[in-house]
Amino acid sequence: MADPTATPGRAPMPDPVTLAVLDNRLRAIVEEMGEAMLRTSYSQILNSSRDFSIALCDADCRLVAQADHIPVHVGAMPWAARAVAEAFAGDIRDGDTFLLNDPYHGGSHLPDLTIIIPVHAEGALRFWSVVRAHQSDIGGATHGGYNPGATEIWQEGLRIPPIRLGEAGSLREDLLRMLATNTRIPRDFRGDLMAMVGAARLGEQRLRPLLARYGADALDAAVSAILDLSEAHARRILATWPDGTWLGEAMLDDDGFDRRDIAIRARVTKRGEGLTVDLSESDPQTKGFVNSSYPNMRSAVAMAFAFLLDPDLAKNDGAFRPLEVIAREGTVVWAREGAPVTMCTSHCSNEIVEAIVRALQHCCPDRAMGGWGRRFRVAITGQDARRPGRRFVWHMFHARPGGGGSSGGDGWSGAGEWHSAGGLKFGSVEMAEARFPLLFETHEFLPGSAGDGQHRGGLGGQLSLRIESEGPAAANTAGDGVRHGAAGMRGGRDGRPHHYRLRHADGTERVLRTKEVGIPVRPGDRLLVEAAGGGGWGPPEARAPEARARDAAEGYV
Amino acid sequence: MAASDSQAAERAQQNGLTIGIDVGGTFTDVVCIAAGGAQTLAKAASTPADQSEGVVEGLRNLAAALGLDLAALLGRTARIVHGTTVATNALLERKGARIGLLTTAGHRDVIEMREGLKPERYDLRLAAPEPLVPRRLRLGVAERLRPDGSVEVPLDPASLDAAIAALKAGQVEGVAIGFLHSWAAPQHEHAAAAAVAAAMPGAFVTCSADVLPQIKEFERFSTTAVNAYVGPVVSRYLGKLAGRLEQAGYRGPLFVILSHGGVAPVEEAARRAVGTALSGPAGGVAAAVALAAQGLGQDLVTFDMGGTSTDIALVTGGEAALGRGRVVGGERIALESLDIVTLGAGGGSIAHLGPGGTLQVGPRSAGAVPGPACYGLGGAEPTVTDANLVLGYLDAGNFLGGARRLDLAAAEAAVAGLAARLGITPAACAAGIHDLVNARMADGVRLATVRRGVDPRDSALLSFGGAAGLHATAVARELGLRRAAVPLFAAGLSAWGMLHTDLRYELTRSAVTPAGMPADAALRALFDGLEAEGRGRMAGWHGGETAARRSADMRYGEQVFEIAVPLDGIDWAGPDLGAQIRAAFHARHRALFTYDLPEEEVVLVNARLAVVGLLPRHAAAGGAAGEAAAPVAQRRIRLDGAAVMAPVHRFEALAPGQAVAGPAIVESATTTVLLRPGDAARMDARGWLEIAVPPG
Repeated sequence: MADPTATPGRAPMPDPVTLAVLDNRLRAIVEEMGEAMLRTSYSQILNSSRDFSIALCDADCRLVAQADHIPVHVGAMPWAARAVAEAFAGDIRDGDTFLLNDPYHGGSHLPDLTIIIPVHAEGALRFWSVVRAHQSDIGGATHGGYNPGATEIWQEGLRIPPIRLGEAGSLREDLLRMLATNTRIPRDFRGDLMAMVGAARLGEQRLRPLLARYGADALDAAVSAILDLSEAHARRILATWPDGTWLGEAMLDDDGFDRRDIAIRARVTKRGEGLTVDLSESDPQTKGFVNSSYPNMRSAVAMAFAFLLDPDLAKNDGAFRPLEVIAREGTVVWAREGAPVTMCTSHCSNEIVEAIVRALQHCCPDRAMGGWGRRFRVAITGQDARRPGRRFVWHMFHARPGGGGSSGGDGWSGAGEWHSAGGLKFGSVEMAEARFPLLFETHEFLPGSAGDGQHRGGLGGQLSLRIESEGPAAANTAGDGVRHGAAGMRGGRDGRPHHYRLRHADGTERVLRTKEVGIPVRPGDRLLVEAAGGGGWGPPEARAPEARARDAAEGYV
Repeated sequence: MAASDSQAAERAQQNGLTIGIDVGGTFTDVVCIAAGGAQTLAKAASTPADQSEGVVEGLRNLAAALGLDLAALLGRTARIVHGTTVATNALLERKGARIGLLTTAGHRDVIEMREGLKPERYDLRLAAPEPLVPRRLRLGVAERLRPDGSVEVPLDPASLDAAIAALKAGQVEGVAIGFLHSWAAPQHEHAAAAAVAAAMPGAFVTCSADVLPQIKEFERFSTTAVNAYVGPVVSRYLGKLAGRLEQAGYRGPLFVILSHGGVAPVEEAARRAVGTALSGPAGGVAAAVALAAQGLGQDLVTFDMGGTSTDIALVTGGEAALGRGRVVGGERIALESLDIVTLGAGGGSIAHLGPGGTLQVGPRSAGAVPGPACYGLGGAEPTVTDANLVLGYLDAGNFLGGARRLDLAAAEAAVAGLAARLGITPAACAAGIHDLVNARMADGVRLATVRRGVDPRDSALLSFGGAAGLHATAVARELGLRRAAVPLFAAGLSAWGMLHTDLRYELTRSAVTPAGMPADAALRALFDGLEAEGRGRMAGWHGGETAARRSADMRYGEQVFEIAVPLDGIDWAGPDLGAQIRAAFHARHRALFTYDLPEEEVVLVNARLAVVGLLPRHAAAGGAAGEAAAPVAQRRIRLDGAAVMAPVHRFEALAPGQAVAGPAIVESATTTVLLRPGDAARMDARGWLEIAVPPG
């Protein structure tokens, strides 16, 4: 309870019980917002892959609580709140709804829209309720926002700097129309945007009784105390690691144009209870869309940090305080305004994480895990004889790569991509065949794909997929990881990289590259996927003989 | 209940007794209801190695309580309904049968792939679970069907024989058979099953097309593998139990309560053993539905707080919510099951300083041994029960009706230790533990309801389980619920609930077509076929009244999740059947998600049918209005930071209609209810304490 005698703005430290209750409550609010989002969103990408994030920030745009949906956005939301706070300084009121997606103004990449709602109490701004979600389309040159041919951001879709989408609790219909008109599936766009606004408003509704019951200043004080405790938690863990500086490197295959083997370098210094990640030795930015925006780079670093600390560490501003990030504008991890960045939430996010884990494998070996698989998605579009006149679009969102081995054991097979870490579900083969002109001849683990190690990586998948379209179809790809496999750690071997082919009915084949548009597909062609395995952990010599015998008996190798 | 001429009703009339048996972790509860409605509760220690021993012991104790011997009791018994945790325990403890899986060649890893999902997204060091069937016993058979049921590759006998030889060499006890698209055409699975049965007599063989003929291979195969895994264990157990009962003189039907809250004959429970995975907690929800029908209210949130965890379920419109996303022991079970949410906190949960430096309650629990510090069995860490004792809510000398003495000094010492680390007084610490667990419960209920599109504020909180009564009205307040209720019979409620539910048989059939929905004639044939099959099955179980209900799982074209659409008001003979069903879907979608998309393609995925065989009930014994009972004591308790004197009432002594205003304590041998200031309770003649909770 607020002490009525306290000076406004300087509420006393709340008692430990109130603190625990509020800490629980704030976490429960973001979880509840996430559930509301899941229940109300329309497009497949949101309700199936949970590619959205929910956060509460305080008036200083500090991350107070974030729901565990998809790790890729962890720690990114304050940048969105900050962009709005700056753009509309002095002109922010309750009932406002702000929107942005521009990676150069608080966003991560264009398909991710962010709704930001301010919450005032006792005459001052107290919280931001923030909802970010991946849209199935955002205009631009190609369907779905991933345009491997883009050399500038304007070819990737519609840029939305921080705008006021509405005020006094209602939205501007003309703006909504303008935005929806610029996307290919206006219905999904509007449906998902409404779900986002609904979830953000729910956050506001749930904060109001807390503000009224405890008092805004007391709540502020509690938030500060919660953040301090999380900071102490993180520092207590870091203090157990040895001091030192290590360099880790991870490689992108290519930028879709002429550059190959693009390096992300993390020089990581652990000193006392703090960690500094310096990415400034990373390669220069690229022509194609594997560049990162600044907020996305920050969240990739935060993701690596969260993976290496304890799973129960709160994802808030306090927990990330021991983490200092240094980067240089103009590198692939922080592109200059105007460069294309759409691939960045996967690549180079994954490589940033991998470089940091590689650097720290010597510092906290039992926490460092073998590399998780990279993304390589395929979309096929054409006609289905069973549904005349309707174009089908089938997405293989999930490449079925393996997760990394770790001190906990062998990696998870078929679960892996660093940025979702087992949070992305792939659809049913039966359902796909019932709804699309496809026949999955094989959909199994690929023996031997995992990186060897004391604890080996998880296996990648192998697919043989016959395309039975009516007439010619076309495929697009987006991804990386056909040259570089998931990194082994502590002497573990790298996982085998991805290898995708298209085999024609006459037996001829072509290898699919990771950034292609308009690949011609004929009826009867087979898509042959050999997905990457996860990286191993620890030297293969240390693998227990029983584990080797079991791998052989079960056919994992 | 008016099941006029059924044999069961006749027997019930003649013999008078129905018996519900609930096997819990510590105690086996046996509840008997006589023709006049008189209820008797007996208990025995549960016997985990062979639960049927504890069951028979409980029946013996019941007989003694009624002044009978076991044979005389069973001779007068018309029906026994049993809730068992055998399947659940086999899954949780990984003590099921050694099993193999025959599946479509090229797809042997479905159950280990788990659709690419892994729990705990920030725990990258989490070890992957062992699959229920090891890979070497997941054997591909050359065969392939198309989604329309047509044969792409005929079943190859040589490859089937080779796979069966490998299963024999692997010495499996159970065989699951799951082929792609068997939901559309079961013939390959059935042919394989016949071959397995011939080659491996005595093996438990189960086909996915029989367990769950429903599209989506992971859900179907996983459910079928669980069936094979628990089937032999459950069959053995139920066979043993039936044998013991028969030996003791019982000749009536033995029913088992299933995960969906209905009951089935023991043979069916053994055949589809996977359907008993939630048999344990199903009785409590069945009781809630029965109480709803007896006038408690159509919308309830059940709040069953036990020692280590708390189960929450929703009753809406008088019916229990069902779901299909159940995971037990890490294994997916896609059968229709009661939608019970389990929170990891209960009376035995330990309060501690978490790794983040804040006060936390649970998920660690003191369990039964050592139990809370106040049990005096060596527990040194403070639990919720210890806090409740320190706050005066529990009576050290009269816990569980005096069955256990509580050690107040030990509780105080445990709480004081934590208080010192937090820098607060022991009293504040105890109150903090109590408040924090209330807040967590409220958050859990809130999340469970929003996840299901329900606003809990319209519901009453139905509190049962030993620990719930002390927290119920605080949780209700926190949630904005205006009513809470605690049944007098809180302890045996689960067993009681088993006697207030009906026979139930669920059928499902996928009907996915590229066109979205079958034509009207095909729809009619599909549902009529299901109904004929379901009623046929029920006729073999039951001679009484039956009812069938149709529903469908549907979604919009590109959505991934289906929603369950009740088809109660459909005119099946009407000319516009497809349009009616589409309209029902749009309306349901609007009700759940606030919007619908009338222009969008509608896809029907599964047709469903539930056949219910109505069982006779004994009317509840109405309590006569008597003298209002005076409080038996005054006790000093701490509420909201201050010490107050609160009257203590005996729950059993409260007269129907008697009002009790908070602050007060209402105690029985099995539960204690805390009424906070402003709470207004009234003893309802139908057997529960009805509590009006003021706004928080």
